[in-house]
Amino acid sequence: MSGQLQGGSPSNHSLAFRVMRLCRPSFQAEEAVLRLLDPLDLLAAEDILVDPSLPPDDLLRISDPSTPDAVANSDFTFRDRFQIRNPVDAMALSGLLIVPQSFGNIYLGETFSSYISVNNSSKFEARDVIIKAEIQTERQRILLLDTSKSPVESIRSGGRYDFIVEHDVKELGPHTLVCTALYNDGDSERKYLPQFFKFIVNNPLSVRTKVRTVKDNTYLEACIENHTKSNLYMDQVEFEPSQQWTATRLETSEYSAEANSETRGLLKPPVLIRAGGGIYNYLYVIKSTIEEFGQSKVDGSSILGKFQITWRMNLGEPGRLQTQQIYGTPITQKDIELQMLDIPPIIILERPFQVHLSITNQTDRTLGPFEVFTSPGISNDEKFVMVNGIQKLVLPPLEASNSNIFDLNLIATGLGVQKISGITIFDVREKKLYDPLPDVEIFVDTTTTT
Amino acid sequence: MTGEEPDAGGDPPSVAIADPLLSPPTSPLDLPFDVPSLLALSRRGQWRAVLDAVAVARRSHGLLPHHHLVCLAVSALALSKLRRFSDAAAEIDALDAPLDSPRFRFESYPSSYPGRSGSMVPFALRFLHADLPQRLGTRSVTVDRLYALFDLVRSKILEETTTASADLWRRREVFVIASLCCNHFVHREFEAALALVRLLLERDPSDPLLLSRLGYVQLQIGDLTGAKASFARLENLHPSGERTVELENLVGRNKALEFIVVKDYAAAVREYEECIERDPADVVALNNKALCLMYSRDLSDSIKVLEGALERVPTAALNETLVVNLCSMYELAYVNHGDVKKTLSNWIAQVAPDDFDPSCTRI
Repeated sequence: MSGQLQGGSPSNHSLAFRVMRLCRPSFQAEEAVLRLLDPLDLLAAEDILVDPSLPPDDLLRISDPSTPDAVANSDFTFRDRFQIRNPVDAMALSGLLIVPQSFGNIYLGETFSSYISVNNSSKFEARDVIIKAEIQTERQRILLLDTSKSPVESIRSGGRYDFIVEHDVKELGPHTLVCTALYNDGDSERKYLPQFFKFIVNNPLSVRTKVRTVKDNTYLEACIENHTKSNLYMDQVEFEPSQQWTATRLETSEYSAEANSETRGLLKPPVLIRAGGGIYNYLYVIKSTIEEFGQSKVDGSSILGKFQITWRMNLGEPGRLQTQQIYGTPITQKDIELQMLDIPPIIILERPFQVHLSITNQTDRTLGPFEVFTSPGISNDEKFVMVNGIQKLVLPPLEASNSNIFDLNLIATGLGVQKISGITIFDVREKKLYDPLPDVEIFVDTTTTT
Repeated sequence: MTGEEPDAGGDPPSVAIADPLLSPPTSPLDLPFDVPSLLALSRRGQWRAVLDAVAVARRSHGLLPHHHLVCLAVSALALSKLRRFSDAAAEIDALDAPLDSPRFRFESYPSSYPGRSGSMVPFALRFLHADLPQRLGTRSVTVDRLYALFDLVRSKILEETTTASADLWRRREVFVIASLCCNHFVHREFEAALALVRLLLERDPSDPLLLSRLGYVQLQIGDLTGAKASFARLENLHPSGERTVELENLVGRNKALEFIVVKDYAAAVREYEECIERDPADVVALNNKALCLMYSRDLSDSIKVLEGALERVPTAALNETLVVNLCSMYELAYVNHGDVKKTLSNWIAQVAPDDFDPSCTRI
């Protein structure tokens, strides 16, 4: 797929540019041309060996791969295009490499590498050749090669001057490889040959992130999607947290149950994201490096960090990208934390039971006094668990960072699975109503008859 | 099959065979053509001659059912080799019964094969039947048939009573798994390919060819660490003092690949040169050495290596991949590459076997 470059070279030029993209080669599986077989499988019934009485020489005649040819000149043989030596050879992977057969696609983060050959296909020498190669994008021109300081003295008739250029692709969109040659032709006329090769750079990946808080932990989920036409091997995906955070990757070790320990190390499944829309997810726990209690807020303006991603394709062809900064999403840190500590294991219908709760003051000042009650809640559903006795419990003020444990007396009026819901705290002094405790499920039994 | 097959009632064919009491029992290895000659033609890639031989054989008198099946297998193979895939498929389809039909079992013809039982279908015929649909554009049918063949082989291994027979089916099992692995690799379904390599490694964890190929799949994916480990394992299991030339070259070529990965082409070339010194017909080393030269900006020498290989060891070097590489280099090196490719193409036409794919010169 080396091309006559677009932009046309007029036929009165001695020189012409030939260009070939030099991404790494690939392994060729030769199954399209070879269909290697065991002659025994071709010439004998598949159940031939069921009969042990068959003359072994007859079989040998057919199946032995080292049998010399009946006709002379066994040098001229294409035996290896017909006869399989080892059944594993059906994999058709001899290790033969093939050069890239098409220009392919180019993606941000890859290295564009190209073989450029300046050919003199005329009958005359070309002298004092100044060759330049540069990449032009919408934003800039990047010089890759310039022989102005030491021009190529001569390219003889039928000769060539070759070079290889490399460029790390850091921009999206249209790119043009511009090759120019300034030279003296056979008539000592100074000629100028420009040739252009256009390509477009696309985005190979997208990274979608989500920050979640579950109980006291903050989690970062990242989903990497592959937009290229190749499978991408994720060589390294690293989350680099900003200074005030640490990040630990959470992953399952799926293959650790390998029965055969000999092969285990060899066959750790690589992280391979499929072409054209395949995805892979990564999960991290984010923790604050600042130890102070109550300071570890992850709010909307805090920068968590960024991802550095290195992927590889055939024979290790690398690509590298880093994401933009990832921000945390806001969570509201509650001033007062209400927690259900324990519930009795057996709860009997219409028999009062006690639950233990704790209230924690997560601020740096004294709060309270408080009232604790069950609020009706949003739904109009009938409630089957209610406070038994005094409907409003009063709790004394609570100093900064302190906790208090208290009991609530409840009674269930319905059988089966029920919910304790709507337990709410009200700060009397600040007139602040806090969100109710999340629902807790209980099982209400009838009287046991033992 | 011709009219000598049994009818729906399963009666044996009415052919003019000698009285079974007077002639020896028919061996299923008895064939209507000269086996050594046919094998010689196959090994020289003379597939048109093979087709002719089969045509002659089919016109013989006294052909038994197993003769027809072997002729069909050879014919289908020859047609596939000549890239006449629809003809090959049509011949197999003309068998108007599935390959597992009782029609293709010895016990259906007790007078022709007294005391003999089992399937008379050549295993290659099953493989060709599975392989052909993808050549005709329906790859999914090929994959289904190959997996069905895998099932069949596995159940045969469990059934077989003699060791020799079970071993033969085990070889076939490896063959089918390897074929499937290749199919997945070609279609870039690397996870499936790796899973099948894993299966093969369970059977033979120290096979150097298998470990190398695992490395190649890993390199193709980009898993450099995995490939390094596979190659290292191979070297550890087969230490340097105990290697054949073939194995020494395999190890050398794998080392060269590791150099290519880090773009140390000079070191890779040195490894390949050692391989070529040990075995001047090591085509993989010759081909890959040429590529390394090209990637080192030495297009002229890369072309010389490939042209030299074709000249010195034509039967080994005449390989479609090598020719594709050479033609790519010609296209880069010459503005008027049509002429030099035509010269190559003419030479190939004189020297190449019948099954050589001429489209690789991309003329």
